[in-house]
Amino acid sequence: MFNYTFQWNQALARLPQMLDGALVTMQIAILSMAIGVLLAILLTGCRLSGIRVLQGFAVTWVEIARNTPALFQIYMAHFGVASFGIHFSPFTSLLIGITFNNAGYLAENFRGALKAISDTQSRAGRSLGMTPVQAFRYIVLPQMLRIAYLPMTNQMVWAILMTSLGVTVGMNSDLYGVTQDLNALTFRTFELFAIAAVIFYVITKVIGLGARLLATRLFRY
Amino acid sequence: MKLPMTLGGLMVAAGLFATSAHADKLDDIISSGTLRCAVVLDFPPMGSRDESNNPVGFDVDYCNDLAAALGVDAEIVETPFPERIPALMSGRVDVGVASTSDTLERAKTVGFSVPYFAFENVVTSNEESGINSFDDMKGKTVGATAGTFEAIALQAQVEEWGEGEFRPYQSQADVFLALSQGQIDATVSTSTVAQANVKSGNFPGISVVGKAPFDIDYVALFTNREEYGFINYLNLFVSQQVRTGRYEELYAKWVGGELPDLSAAGVTR
Amino acid sequence: MFDTALSAHDLLFLAKGAGVTLLVTAISVAFGTILGILCGVFRFQVGPYWASPVTFILDIFRSIPLLIQLVLANAFLGMVLKLRMSGFTIACGVLTLYTAAYCAEIVRGSIGSVPGTTRRAGRSLGMTWFQDMRYIVLPLATRVALPSWIGLALGVMKDSALVYVVQVTELLKSTQILITRLQEPLFLLMICGAFYFLISFPIARFGGYLEKRWSND
Repeated sequence: MFNYTFQWNQALARLPQMLDGALVTMQIAILSMAIGVLLAILLTGCRLSGIRVLQGFAVTWVEIARNTPALFQIYMAHFGVASFGIHFSPFTSLLIGITFNNAGYLAENFRGALKAISDTQSRAGRSLGMTPVQAFRYIVLPQMLRIAYLPMTNQMVWAILMTSLGVTVGMNSDLYGVTQDLNALTFRTFELFAIAAVIFYVITKVIGLGARLLATRLFRY
Repeated sequence: MKLPMTLGGLMVAAGLFATSAHADKLDDIISSGTLRCAVVLDFPPMGSRDESNNPVGFDVDYCNDLAAALGVDAEIVETPFPERIPALMSGRVDVGVASTSDTLERAKTVGFSVPYFAFENVVTSNEESGINSFDDMKGKTVGATAGTFEAIALQAQVEEWGEGEFRPYQSQADVFLALSQGQIDATVSTSTVAQANVKSGNFPGISVVGKAPFDIDYVALFTNREEYGFINYLNLFVSQQVRTGRYEELYAKWVGGELPDLSAAGVTR
Repeated sequence: MFDTALSAHDLLFLAKGAGVTLLVTAISVAFGTILGILCGVFRFQVGPYWASPVTFILDIFRSIPLLIQLVLANAFLGMVLKLRMSGFTIACGVLTLYTAAYCAEIVRGSIGSVPGTTRRAGRSLGMTWFQDMRYIVLPLATRVALPSWIGLALGVMKDSALVYVVQVTELLKSTQILITRLQEPLFLLMICGAFYFLISFPIARFGGYLEKRWSND
């Protein structure tokens, strides 16, 4: 049917290496997501703080993260900051780039979620003697995370997909990097990348399913 | 009604005739009037861009010569190192004039001509790293261009040493950028590229410190492996370039110094 | 930092790259939106069960890195089917399907947001399905969909930075080419980032403004 000989065996023989790469990919995505959520909460706090400098900082972060390509952000985290003499390994650069992006998008999601929480609630908390930080921590934050849960799962999938951009900063241990290295050795481009695509698909589906299971545990009331 | 039918029949017959007379790649190139070459353009002096961002370099001239020999126009298609073979396989280019090492693994997928150039690999280091030879790289962070002969060899060496780190970058430019920024301590690259980059003055603080003990890196033109007719033409073309002195002329123009021998001792190819 | 070797010619070269970025985006978003609306309406109309093949295929485009989609499409069309296609065509094709996959989600969601009672009221006035879609669903659903669609279009513009992998010289690739020659990474990257930002930021703000204005009623 096709004037092309598929050599799946040659590509499948490399599957263990690719699965190792998939682990690194997941590691980066999970780390970047965990740090990203914390930073996004901080950024949201900055925005709510009413302090000009903090607000400006948070807005700048969010707008740059949301209005430039992720590839640009990762490239900047490696080659851009090195102009100031700051050196990050490919792993760190990729992690910083994705985390920066995650935090920006998540902060914006959190801001949307906050609109749905009426401020009478935190005022009620304040009148019970809570400090502003306590009111945020115990009343606003849990609801905010719950409303923003779905966008957070989407961002997690994005984080997985973004790891593929690490090759531009010399990353070769993640799934895409491993696949590209193998491609340079054997040139079985189609077979290798088709397998990588299937692995990525399975990972994103597993994450979607995991997130749904987690949601039923976290939010049952 | 009858006329269109006849016409249709004629067209079908013409179509059959056209497909049955098998035109190979050589014919296709000559009849299309354009030769599309894959060239890597961040690999001075083999391929780079001048002030007006036009492609220049040894490989660019070589492609132009080949096109002239075929009597067609040359079209330079810029391909990063990792994309050379995909560009050929997807029919985006006719031939690779891209300093491609003729490894056996690759020959399973593409067809190589006889070597048209030979590189020696050298170590270039950041002066702050204190690396003065190939063996000094043990335990350091080193890098090379993903998908190249020297990258594959260097990665294997780092794994053999069991310490240090290897980083493949997407382009030769990124490697030297990382080297001058101090992100990596040293790189192994072809001597011509290393000299050109050190001389350019674009990258302060780097210097060539010694040879890498890799085999001589013969590079060849490549095209689809089943296109024997075209490969045969390429072989003759490479030979003619040497015989007519054009190879020497181009070497003097872009590289300079002692002309590398394109034949391995004791064997024909 | 502003002492640069960047010439007017180089700026023109960057502008050309930016033009390619915008062109790829415009083509992909235009076709992707049409395809996305068709798929979205279809999915809403026939229900999740019958639409599952379409849902599955569209879902693939949202579950695999765009970089791999491009490499695979390139390898499949070129190496396996031996079709001669320019990188530009492949880039537009893949980005179109990518846009369609997200657009279908937006369309489906926004049609679902139109209250069923409103639509039934229309139908009971004797409107046909097309009239119902045209005069009731379209105006109401557009209000819900437009802000997300603007976000999607901007997302596609930013993601188009990846088409370098099929030899299309767009803005980020042009920047890298200039970095190779001029060795001023930070300065050139800033110009490149500023360009994306200047296009994306006002439009994103406009989307936010629409969202706020339309959500009042």
